[in-house]
Amino acid sequence: MTLDQLLEKIDALEGRCPKLGHQVAFGYCRRETGTLPCPRTLACWQHRFNAELILRHLLTPEQWDAVFSTAPKTRVDSLLEAIEAAKTRREPSAQ
Amino acid sequence: MEQIKVFLDESEMPRQWYNILADLPTPMRPPLHPATGQPVKPEDLAPVFPMNLIEQEMATERWIQIPEPVLEKYAIWRPTPLYRARNLEKALGTPAKIFYKNEGVSPPGSHKPNTAVAQAYYNKEFGIKRLATETGAGQWGSALSMACQMFGLECRVYMVKVSYNQKPYRRLMMQTWGAECIPSPSDRTEAGRKILAQNPDSPGSLGIAISEAIEDAVGDPKARYSLGSVLNHVLLHQTIIGLETQKQMEKLGLYPDVVLGCAGGGSNFAGLCLPFVRDKIHGKDVTVVAAEPTSCPTLTRGPFRYDFGDTAMTTPLLPMHTLGHDFIPAPIHAGGLRYHGMAPIVSHLLEEKLIEARAFDQIETFTSGIQWARTEGFIPAPETTHAIAAVVQEALRAKEEGKEKVILFNWSGHGFVDMASYDAFLSGKLTRYELPDEEIQRALATTDAFPKP
Repeated sequence: MTLDQLLEKIDALEGRCPKLGHQVAFGYCRRETGTLPCPRTLACWQHRFNAELILRHLLTPEQWDAVFSTAPKTRVDSLLEAIEAAKTRREPSAQ
Repeated sequence: MEQIKVFLDESEMPRQWYNILADLPTPMRPPLHPATGQPVKPEDLAPVFPMNLIEQEMATERWIQIPEPVLEKYAIWRPTPLYRARNLEKALGTPAKIFYKNEGVSPPGSHKPNTAVAQAYYNKEFGIKRLATETGAGQWGSALSMACQMFGLECRVYMVKVSYNQKPYRRLMMQTWGAECIPSPSDRTEAGRKILAQNPDSPGSLGIAISEAIEDAVGDPKARYSLGSVLNHVLLHQTIIGLETQKQMEKLGLYPDVVLGCAGGGSNFAGLCLPFVRDKIHGKDVTVVAAEPTSCPTLTRGPFRYDFGDTAMTTPLLPMHTLGHDFIPAPIHAGGLRYHGMAPIVSHLLEEKLIEARAFDQIETFTSGIQWARTEGFIPAPETTHAIAAVVQEALRAKEEGKEKVILFNWSGHGFVDMASYDAFLSGKLTRYELPDEEIQRALATTDAFPKP
């Protein structure tokens, strides 16, 4: 089995996403933010196959650290950051 | 015939919500503003919430009056019935008495409208014309859509595109209640347009949908943002569940030994449990359990330490297996209760050891959900099956110990629009999947010569 075949196989596996509240495929989880995986990927998938082994291979050390070695933000933090970002986006058009 | 339901009439509905901040043994640390590092002030939240809700968010009074117009809307489905799960008890052969508060009887089928109705009311009172929010599967989006319709507000819901495509019935519920449901990322906001420019086929994420909803609200002085979990005022509104339940248990002359709820964002768990946590703070002997949706505790490839060590629940999840080497990887921060969706109040109660958390694998939860449906009839929402798994565990423990425990939990919603999840379970798509490490290693080796992206 090649890596492409492996990814094709596991990308189609489904699991329940506790953030969205429904089934999603592993292929969604490993690219949730566009290029990077969802920080929950290991918690949700590791019991089914060695997702860590695969993601460590697919990601650079910097990408790995960005997702899995930094503390996740609280929802309140995310909310406040989104407010600041939205205000910043709105300011240029308001001028 | 044995009594299995306890009703309250409208006159018995609680007239106040309960605010646990007044009873906490130690105060919660205030959230810090990421830009200033200072405690968040009301004006920081003002772009997205009306001031009357911000005041509730920061309130420390123990009891907060429920406005009459909110009670009138609650009365459509409240007080909700308390049931005894006699058939499950029999099936488990347990001496425990299992009671559940059925929040699935609300029009959208979950506990969510308890806060949606209150938030719509307060926004209306503040002069707001439109609410924006985000939703995944649509439980929150549908509750807010109904609540906005009840108070004559417009409602705009940014629904994560992968959910929008997968959950058409929730989307149709929102549209039936008059809301505008937009797949996210969308071209309505800068945040959405930026993502679409990078990837026109982006399936979206909850983070993107949150950014879109907030940007939408910030850009319109007559609009505000609404959140269905996590925040103090959301949990406050949900306490009507536990306050009603206390009256119902009193009618039975019983008090629970164990109180349980599933904990995603914390609102349904808190709704039932906070009034009982108050009793515990004042000396009652009651165990309060948050059942968490995660896979970690049943990891078969090496035990992951899984406990909750700090208020923000940012304690790393430490993988103890070594990938076949002597090398132990750096700590991995992962999800579970500590993922960014958990309510700070729930995190704080855990740190204070006033509640405990248990995690259940999806196989275990769906197995319990199916057992529930086949004994009690009602089909639970997938979230609710986590609480049921905890109930089953607790009831079997009572059987082993030969104790007549009284177990109470929040049956937070029905699963009628989540049957695809049941299909995934029943058709075997969720079964454990064995992919040996050696097979993975061989596949990875096929690309070792190529640089990483």
